[in-house]
Amino acid sequence: MLVVSNIDLKINKPVTKPSEFLKSSFRGFVLNVNNDYRYMKTGYYVSLHAEVLGDEVVPTTENALDAYRPPILLTRTAKNGAPIMPFIVTDSVRQIMAEFAFPVAVFPVNPFSFNGFRTAENRTALYRAVKSLSMNYRYAVCVQPLQGEMMVVKCFFGECACEDNSARAVARKVYETLKIPVCKLYVQRFNGGAYLCGLQPLKMEEITPSDVDLLSKMVSRFSGKGWSD
Amino acid sequence: MTRIACFVEKYNFSNSREAEALQNFKQTAERLGHEFHFMFRGGLSEIPKYDSVFIRATTDPLYTAYVVSKTAWELGLKVVDDPVSIRVCANKIHQYSLFKKYGVPHIPTIFLSKEEFHHRQIAEIFEVFGKPVVIKAPYTSFSRYVEKVSCETSFREVAKRFFRRSDYIVVQKFMPSRFDWRVGVLNGEVLYVCKYMMPKGKWKHGVKKRGKPSFIWGRTVTLKRNNAPHRLKETALKACNIIGKGLYGVDIKEINGDYVVVEVNDNPSIYKGQEDLRDKDIYEKIIRFLSE
Repeated sequence: MLVVSNIDLKINKPVTKPSEFLKSSFRGFVLNVNNDYRYMKTGYYVSLHAEVLGDEVVPTTENALDAYRPPILLTRTAKNGAPIMPFIVTDSVRQIMAEFAFPVAVFPVNPFSFNGFRTAENRTALYRAVKSLSMNYRYAVCVQPLQGEMMVVKCFFGECACEDNSARAVARKVYETLKIPVCKLYVQRFNGGAYLCGLQPLKMEEITPSDVDLLSKMVSRFSGKGWSD
Repeated sequence: MTRIACFVEKYNFSNSREAEALQNFKQTAERLGHEFHFMFRGGLSEIPKYDSVFIRATTDPLYTAYVVSKTAWELGLKVVDDPVSIRVCANKIHQYSLFKKYGVPHIPTIFLSKEEFHHRQIAEIFEVFGKPVVIKAPYTSFSRYVEKVSCETSFREVAKRFFRRSDYIVVQKFMPSRFDWRVGVLNGEVLYVCKYMMPKGKWKHGVKKRGKPSFIWGRTVTLKRNNAPHRLKETALKACNIIGKGLYGVDIKEINGDYVVVEVNDNPSIYKGQEDLRDKDIYEKIIRFLSE
């Protein structure tokens, strides 16, 4: 198994840099540990290169692509039993207001935005959010009712440092479905339960030393070897 | 009876030839006893009501069309274009990697990463391919994001722009020709054959007017598929076979009697009086494929 990562992992196993791997013709299993698997970014190309070589790779390009598209993420994880909120994909404020009461959470489904979401508590705010995230109605947005508190959970191989058990269960379900080793989940706490709303890449500066420790432990566990300090 | 949803965006109706072709699809489907409905962005929740989905809006993994394709695929519907074809065709790095792996004749190509983007690398590229070279963003479509450069300054300017969205870009040898062949392929069979002519004095089929957002397009000359060169059709089918069994438009250059693939496009243009001019059955073949 080859670990390819752009993060300085503390593991007793060689780690290959993405740029080196992209020039190699390694045959075997590839574990691609990257903070960002967005389409056309280096993390995506590592998985793509492995697939073209005929290697087995985690995550696959299909999963990397699906994970960052909120409607596909929600459809696929819900199919696998993850709790989600109802959602619609549209660029029409009228349609959103006909479907959901305020407040709502608006996630982008466009090629350029990948960070965060907007909330709207009234019609004006909704118009602003849709206009901005749809890039002047050129693309669609994914809208969900906002009935509780939105939590951001950093997730490493389905494990997260958060105390909330229901959020942890959601994180595990997402990993079970899409096998994205490193990501940030948007989870809504509502009525004592946790509901998946979105998944986005982690920025490098968001990864703390304790996150690196957890991630390294998970990589070691994945590769079947003990973790050494 | 099959219920077919045709996913379109408003711009699909802005060109009268495309709008007429879409009406032809609808009429053909209804004549064959099927239901055919245009579905827009707001109608995605209705996908489960259909048996198959035909995507005519621009496909890219980051556009709504991919969400439609993937959702329909997950629900077990027949989809043209399927998500795998969109993934491979929309990303030229992916596509050329497969061409290299499976020995599909294609234009000499190298990939350039953001990290390798420096003077020595650019000089090496000019040495290998000569001047000018063609720089392509992986997400190119409709002749956009493909530019010809002859010096390091313009190379840097274009590459920088394309690197904004992708960490890798494609650099190709410049191979001028009066036209590109366009071979339409459906389910491993040739559907139509055309020549996409270059506008006078230009090197690609669609060129942006200077200082304006609009494009000028070269003429389309259509041949009967049975009259097209056999080796051309063979090359097109070989390229499509590594991608899938959907609907594709293969661009091929004829250089000194050899055929080299420029690229395979999913979601190929079908305009009334152009791609359908010689082989009128293309609508029926596509509808039959969707209703199988």
